[in-house]
Amino acid sequence: MTALSPLLGNHLADGFASALEPLNLLFGLVGVTAGTAIGVLPGIGPALAISMLLPVTFGMDPVGAFILFGGIYYGAMYGGSTTSILVKMPGEASSVVTALDGFEMARRGRAGAALATAAIGSFIAGTFATVMLMVLAPALVELALEFGPTEYFALMALALTSVGGLSGGSGLKGLVAILGGLALGTIGIDVQTGQPRFTFGVPGLLGGISVVIATVGLFAVGEVFWFAATSQATRTRSLAVAAGVKLNRQDWRRSIPAWLRGTVIGFFVGVLPGAGATVASFLSYTVERRMAARPEVFGKGAIEGVAGPEAANNASAGGSLVPLLALGVPGSGTTAVMLAAFQMYGLQPGPLLFTQNSHLVWSLIASLYVSNVLLLVLNLPMIRVWVRLLQIPRPLLFAAVLAFATLGVYSLNNNIFDVGLTYGLGVVGFFMRRHNIPLAPTILAVVLGPLLEQEFRRSISISGGDLTVFLTRPVSAAILGTVVLVAIYPAVKRLVEERRWL
Amino acid sequence: MSPDRGLGIVFLIVSASYTGAAMLINEPSGQYTVIGPRLVPLVIGVVWIACSLWIVIGPKDRTGLSAVEWSVVCPSALAFLVYILAFERVGYLVATAVFIAVESSLLGSRNWRRDVIVSIGITVSVYIVFGLLLGLRLPEGFLG
Repeated sequence: MTALSPLLGNHLADGFASALEPLNLLFGLVGVTAGTAIGVLPGIGPALAISMLLPVTFGMDPVGAFILFGGIYYGAMYGGSTTSILVKMPGEASSVVTALDGFEMARRGRAGAALATAAIGSFIAGTFATVMLMVLAPALVELALEFGPTEYFALMALALTSVGGLSGGSGLKGLVAILGGLALGTIGIDVQTGQPRFTFGVPGLLGGISVVIATVGLFAVGEVFWFAATSQATRTRSLAVAAGVKLNRQDWRRSIPAWLRGTVIGFFVGVLPGAGATVASFLSYTVERRMAARPEVFGKGAIEGVAGPEAANNASAGGSLVPLLALGVPGSGTTAVMLAAFQMYGLQPGPLLFTQNSHLVWSLIASLYVSNVLLLVLNLPMIRVWVRLLQIPRPLLFAAVLAFATLGVYSLNNNIFDVGLTYGLGVVGFFMRRHNIPLAPTILAVVLGPLLEQEFRRSISISGGDLTVFLTRPVSAAILGTVVLVAIYPAVKRLVEERRWL
Repeated sequence: MSPDRGLGIVFLIVSASYTGAAMLINEPSGQYTVIGPRLVPLVIGVVWIACSLWIVIGPKDRTGLSAVEWSVVCPSALAFLVYILAFERVGYLVATAVFIAVESSLLGSRNWRRDVIVSIGITVSVYIVFGLLLGLRLPEGFLG
């Protein structure tokens, strides 16, 4: 570390110089504003927002584009809590658990304190996570220099397995979601041999199904149809923010330990492939309730129940960037889309990115610090402005999402075929929602599937057709062992619960 | 028939067709790669078939399905389809402005005047930002 430190300082100085350039600062500001809005509005999340922006940012400088995306990601984590607290309807999945105590606080006239502990906790967590990202990612890069295709194959398999197993619901449905995504990913020309697969002579399929099409189809279009099908009458009535958005002395005393615990939990859960913000916030809530002096106040407006999970979901956003940047292995829907963004610019995240595009990496990291400050400034005094977003009529919002989705997908190749494909995937997404099949594993599989296959085939080529190569290399064997554990964990847990073993 | 069983049957048809199509993938004859383009899709297909079969014959999922208002879904899905088909022919500006207004009313909005004003506002501002400033090529239709 000591040898690295001066270098780290140089990189960071360079990054800040770039992140504070007026144009990049503007991208950061636009990103956090859009991100907060996306977070506040239920039904649209950061993965969707970034994928709709992918085609329109194609002509931009990648540094500016990634500052924009980073701002959206962090901003969405901030904004999600506002809706949870004031409407009891999460703006994001990662803020579901915040609604438990946040809404109860708001009902008791303490909305201001709940919003303040969420915002300050998010700031602390986001900043800490960025520091950890800065330290851990280069260290992981050093380690990853030893990795070959075998290890990458194992890592990607782990990411897929855990996102399938942890996304809630039955493991079988998670598996089906992954298989569907993998199947979509095999469409197009096979890069190693040039053979077309599943293209049926349709030229629009030769290049494969773009992540943008998959994400916009499954999330945006599917989501709007789902909204049409179910929540017609849901009128969001927001509670008023009576007192100012601030904390009293007792709130501070109770929040600080919860923030710190939430930050640590969130960051490490975020680094793990497949876990992500939702798991982090639930875990933090459980820990807070276990550690509380009076667990009975939880669910009745305990401030720790807001402070911990909100810190955790922000820290997990920073944590999830570690495997993305250092290894090129995304662990969540949003980072999968960000990997697609890197690919669009012809960049491959991983060890090479840190040496060949260190300017981009460090500008992005520095911009995350800047975004965090911007978010704190935007969120504490301007909360009333954000709350007004909830008054946008839902039908109008969703109609506009459909129109913008069409525009984004069309501008990929100026081809209406892509829009038709998106529509078809929207119908699939609708039925997946209807049958409780999680969507995030599918997106991750669409992105990782082709890479997984390439690494697999490359490993086998190198070993000369020897399948045991995955088990004879220690790192890959250890990771694959973990894959097996993660895969059988839900089944074992169910067996234990049903037969009351232990 | 339980809802998931129906789902399983759909999956079975899709996964079987996928596997069938995977068998048709042309394996290049040269031995320059150990594993050709066919193996991985075949493995995916076979596992997928197995999962689909398990959904059909395995233990029933106890969770039911939530009610769906098809009378709202179908017209709004149809309107979206018409919009996609009209997008290139009619042009971005007209098609989008009409679509947003119509679709919001299909999705349950009851304020015509506001919807029309907002839809024109959104359409034109998106056109200015993305079409004129960022240089995205949007179909002009009969206005071009």
